[in-house]
Amino acid sequence: MARGAYEAGLSVACAYPGTPSTEILEALARFPEVDAQWSVNEKVAFEVALGAAIGGARSLFACKHVGLNVAMDPLMTASYTGILAGFVIVVCDDPGMHSSQNEQDTRWVALYSKLPMLEPASPAEARQYVQEAFKISERYDTPVLLRMTTRVSHTSENIVLQERRVPPRPELERNIPKYVMVPGNAYQRHIFVEQRLRQLQALSERTRFDRIEKGDGKLGFITAGVAYQYLKEHYPDASYLKLGMIYPFCDDKIKAFAKTVKKLVVVEELDPFLEDHLRMLGVKAAAKDPSFRIGELAPELIPAVVAGRAKQEVKVVKRKPRLCAECPHWASFAALKKLDVYVAGDIGCYTLACLPPMSALHSCLCMGAGVTFNEGLRKGAPGKKIVGVLGDSTFVHSGITGLINAAYNKAKGVILILDNSTTAMTGGQQHPATGLTIRNEPTKKLILEDVCRACGVDHVDVVDPKDLEAFRTLLETRVNEDALSVIIARHPCKLLRR
Amino acid sequence: MSDKVYSITFGGIGGQGILKASEICGWAAVFAGYHVKKSEVHGMAQRGGSVESHVRFGKRVYSPLVPAGGADVLMCFHLEEHPRLQTFLKKEGIDLTAYLDRATQAMADNPRGLNTCLVGVLSTRLPIKEEHWIKAIETVFRGKGVEENKKVFLDGRKLGQS
Repeated sequence: MARGAYEAGLSVACAYPGTPSTEILEALARFPEVDAQWSVNEKVAFEVALGAAIGGARSLFACKHVGLNVAMDPLMTASYTGILAGFVIVVCDDPGMHSSQNEQDTRWVALYSKLPMLEPASPAEARQYVQEAFKISERYDTPVLLRMTTRVSHTSENIVLQERRVPPRPELERNIPKYVMVPGNAYQRHIFVEQRLRQLQALSERTRFDRIEKGDGKLGFITAGVAYQYLKEHYPDASYLKLGMIYPFCDDKIKAFAKTVKKLVVVEELDPFLEDHLRMLGVKAAAKDPSFRIGELAPELIPAVVAGRAKQEVKVVKRKPRLCAECPHWASFAALKKLDVYVAGDIGCYTLACLPPMSALHSCLCMGAGVTFNEGLRKGAPGKKIVGVLGDSTFVHSGITGLINAAYNKAKGVILILDNSTTAMTGGQQHPATGLTIRNEPTKKLILEDVCRACGVDHVDVVDPKDLEAFRTLLETRVNEDALSVIIARHPCKLLRR
Repeated sequence: MSDKVYSITFGGIGGQGILKASEICGWAAVFAGYHVKKSEVHGMAQRGGSVESHVRFGKRVYSPLVPAGGADVLMCFHLEEHPRLQTFLKKEGIDLTAYLDRATQAMADNPRGLNTCLVGVLSTRLPIKEEHWIKAIETVFRGKGVEENKKVFLDGRKLGQS
């Protein structure tokens, strides 16, 4: 994906790390021609990248599925403004939740935002599709969604590289009706969006990214992504309509293909996105049992999926990950456990503290909820001892607004920032409080304790959690006070890259 | 080139060099002129969770994953993981787990080289020439420890041939 974007003349790329999308920006940062950044969060990343596209540079925003939720606000209106230079949104879903809190199917975002979506089924296709995505973006004045899943994102394949070609950069224009989304202008742009959708439908009918492979005519599949790869090995003689452009739907192509086969089966991972549309079209097709909407597909599951049989849950014993032996989080959670408090957790390595034998983290919803749940839980369960816990990178991503809210609304409690000075869960990426950029260049460093004080909390303490006695004593004192405090438990991750 | 697709499943726990081993295998297959797909689950690799990597090569490879019961060769790095990983192996597939003990003994002075040693064993069971394996090691290690890894690889290769 990164290579393809680079070859297409990409100039600006922004992301916040998130499995399985992190490697895209890491790879792009290795190209000196690309202005690459780790952004504070996905909303910020999206806006910076979109701004670059409206300014005239081909740009890319990459995220995981739940990361796209954070960027949904700008995304929905970016559909209206359109772009000047090409803008591509890469979203990596995680069916099977290898490292995620839900397994939402992001294909629905295309429908909801009225944006075109492409879905590569292999690394080679990712490289090819992203190049086409920039062209579609510029030709139709639209952001383009590129959706992948873990099994495509985390696959390597040998491909032939091409030279980088940078298209001429268009001049920034002052176009108030197009870029100022006040109601009157947005109404006109909504008319444009609906027209664009019809043009994209026409494109979907003729795009070379959908492939028809003629088989013996007995059995035909409508499929996309990695499901296509699994099917090809089981049913080499079947006919295929392999969709590369997932949205808008190619209704005529689907209907024509359906007529060429005796039995039609739609095979897709997660939600019945294609299945429901086929039903609306009145195209008769078999589909997977609803039990297969949960979890990812695998090559050996394909015969059951095609036959419409229910999923047989097989109990597989896998080693659970755990906090590393010398991880500073062990010390932090040992102290929390001793105090027997309810821990409102967050997204990061420390979420692993929910597992036995520690079992000392009691909620995990989304980035930043460690702070806001402390406030909400106290309202719902007055008198209970509650501590909010989140990491340094997570705090910068989404914790600061919650902390301002807590101070403003007179909430109490302890927010424990487990500061290991990196984004550890995704492999150790830099963030504003490390003082280093994506390329490890020194930059302005965000001082967490200063930010917390500025938010208006009563006490801010910085302590090393490995200094067990001092940490435990401080925590106990703060937990029993009627105040809003932040404890920054600072000890670097032992996996930090040097 | 026949239409056969070769499937190798690598597995163990985080920190054992499994991803490096599969990377060497993937590059060797590339240099041998095959279409290659390598897939891995490594989200929790550094936190001691199960790690698994699949390498498939042939004239044309579709699925990046080896199906259950589809591996020609199983390369298991940790006995506790073996019951789970065994489900990947074909009935007539080659299970190289028997070499784990001997390789560990051979690498007693250099435990970090265990993965390269096991790749040496693996190399004796795949239709890829020695020169392509060597080139893969040179590519994966890029200067750092190339010579040492070549030596360890050749030791493993001898072990596999014995």
